[in-house]
Amino acid sequence: MKRLNRFGFTAAILVLMMSLVLAACGGKKESNGSSASASGSAPASSDNSGGKSGSKTELLFWTPFSGPDGSFMKSIVDNYNKQSDKYFVKYQIQPNGDYYKLLDNAFGTKKNMPDFMIMHLDSIPTYAKKDLLLPMDDLAAKAGIQKSDYVEAAVDYANIDGKWMGIPLDIHPLIMYYNKDLFQAAGITAPPTNKEEFLAAAKKLTDPSKGQWGYVMPTQWPQQFLFPSLVYQQGADLADADGKPTLNTPAAVAALEFEKSLIFEHKVSPQKVAQDGEVKLFLQGKNAIQFNGPWMKDQWDKAKLNYGVAPIPVFFDKPGVFAGSHNFVVPKSQTDPNKLDGIGDFLKYVAGHSIDWAKSGQAVASKAVLNSEEFKALNTQQTEVAKEFDYVHFAPPVPNWGSYVGELWKQINLVLLNDGDVKKALDEAQAKAEQAAAANK
Amino acid sequence: MKGSLRSRLTSSLFVLPYFLCFCVFLLYPLISGIILSLQNNDMLGTHEFVGLQNYVDIFTPGTYIHDAFFRGLWGTVKFVVYSVPFLILVGLALALLVNSLNARVRGVFRTIFFIPYAISATVMATIWMRVFDTDSGFLNLMLDKLHIHHQQHIGWFTDTPWVWIALVVSTIWWTIGFNMMLFINGLNEVPEELYEAAKLDGANAWNRLTRITLPSIKNVTAVVMVMTIIASFNVFAQPNLMTRGGPGFETTVMLMNVFDVAYGQHQGGAASAMAILLGLIMMIVSAAVYRLLFRKEA
Repeated sequence: MKRLNRFGFTAAILVLMMSLVLAACGGKKESNGSSASASGSAPASSDNSGGKSGSKTELLFWTPFSGPDGSFMKSIVDNYNKQSDKYFVKYQIQPNGDYYKLLDNAFGTKKNMPDFMIMHLDSIPTYAKKDLLLPMDDLAAKAGIQKSDYVEAAVDYANIDGKWMGIPLDIHPLIMYYNKDLFQAAGITAPPTNKEEFLAAAKKLTDPSKGQWGYVMPTQWPQQFLFPSLVYQQGADLADADGKPTLNTPAAVAALEFEKSLIFEHKVSPQKVAQDGEVKLFLQGKNAIQFNGPWMKDQWDKAKLNYGVAPIPVFFDKPGVFAGSHNFVVPKSQTDPNKLDGIGDFLKYVAGHSIDWAKSGQAVASKAVLNSEEFKALNTQQTEVAKEFDYVHFAPPVPNWGSYVGELWKQINLVLLNDGDVKKALDEAQAKAEQAAAANK
Repeated sequence: MKGSLRSRLTSSLFVLPYFLCFCVFLLYPLISGIILSLQNNDMLGTHEFVGLQNYVDIFTPGTYIHDAFFRGLWGTVKFVVYSVPFLILVGLALALLVNSLNARVRGVFRTIFFIPYAISATVMATIWMRVFDTDSGFLNLMLDKLHIHHQQHIGWFTDTPWVWIALVVSTIWWTIGFNMMLFINGLNEVPEELYEAAKLDGANAWNRLTRITLPSIKNVTAVVMVMTIIASFNVFAQPNLMTRGGPGFETTVMLMNVFDVAYGQHQGGAASAMAILLGLIMMIVSAAVYRLLFRKEA
């Protein structure tokens, strides 16, 4: 072996090794158990000190819209930036699955914090309770934004301890999609509006020999939207006014019994449906009805399905449906009055111009846009979704609510797969939810 | 002595880049994790020191985190037990097969078997959910054509034990390339003379395999086994994407619960304690396996 007696040669080797090692360490593949979104640890761009873009104040805006809807928000932002001479909104999309990890990191390290961001309505209580969000009352007043500009349900929910914590962008409830071709072939002229019509239609549309089903019951997602809707329709909820979970009420039992009956008694759904099984069958034209969220529109369009949209039927006593909602929130650490004015200005613009967001298939929360001719002229999905706005319910405003109901979804899953005992399953879920409540102190 | 000092200095400098990497990417996070596990930390900026309370809670029956830990551990252990033997046997089998091919096609097949290792978890999950779905899945459609289980499709993701078969099969497809490569390297190290001598003595293929090949690659097998066990303990993507931990909580693995406690319950300290305990368990198991199998060449 040659003697490494030249310093330059040794140094070159060291630099090469250093770069190789750093590259290897940085790109090290985790074991065969790496998570799907393993690399999402730093935001896409880190220029967020809020300096001025030219002479405009820059506002960093985070969203989780990494799906097809991201480009619709971008149009809104671009149009706003064109017409504003004081402010410039820097639009940043984070991967949807990682969004709250990244947000939590920003809160925890107090670094890379956006100036304002999107947050789901039912997450607001968690962050508001920890005093991480800025009340929007002053900001809204200055910008001329009023609570009455928006759908009541969302505004009321975001009103925590008398303060307005989030301004809504949209409301996305569960809606009914149905296959128009299958309906026509079965001689059904209108989508069902109540339990009797639903059962009659589903039975007519079911033909196991052809592998065709009237309504394929999901056993995992989106039960998170479906089960609560059935509970709300009986005038009940999954938590009481004090925020204590109420998962094994008679209403909950009735809801789950009904879901189970569709599989085992009325047989309008196959058994053992796996995650997304109902979606795959719908795409193949083998599932006539499905309940899902407005975000599925893009998938159905791409598959060129002849589908219709309608509010979900009223299975029990009164209309009721579970919904999520995207809201604009501002971190508590935001104290720059200039930026706050800018955020208010942007939000005022969005209230009047969120028609682009509606084009993504979402129904917007701004009444001005909802009532506009342009909105009504969009395809039927948005107007059907908006019909449900009078009776949407959101998740109980309990911090960390997701961890309370983790067991509930598992128990529902087991009941629907194995024709299990409903009351026992819900009692289990209730016990676990109380355990989670205790852990949350 | 000058020569010895310089040579030690040179070798230290060579090790330095890796050591820096080790400190930044392994040692620092490990120490941070241990500190985190001694806190009550909500991951949002508030934290207080609570000593070993998180660990105590894990071992206290009836608490949320006790159930999260032991349920997750049970799911993970099941996956390790079901997946590791196949990951090793199939890896070895593929290596033997590939090595027995002629030199021209050997490289092609090595690449073919390795390619799945390079794809992301989401792509892997999409492919295998397509295969194993109950009513639209490729496998059940094929079984239908063969008139097997025609009345009720097998719920590959919804029934035990089928769900474990589905998870193990998709994991093998995804990651076997790595084990295969290690085994190929190990097989290539076995001196050719041993085989020639054995053939002269009249040994058949089976004898050659069991008396020469397998003993010679014992150390490689030990390494592969330890790495595979560690990797299987770390399983997350497959159950998280394909079964959501179902049916019920049958395939809910430890890392899924760690994630849930950290970001769903906002209890980073408790989650860290769970992860550290998992790491300890992994270390003990790996050390035991390594001890049993690895034999230093005399």
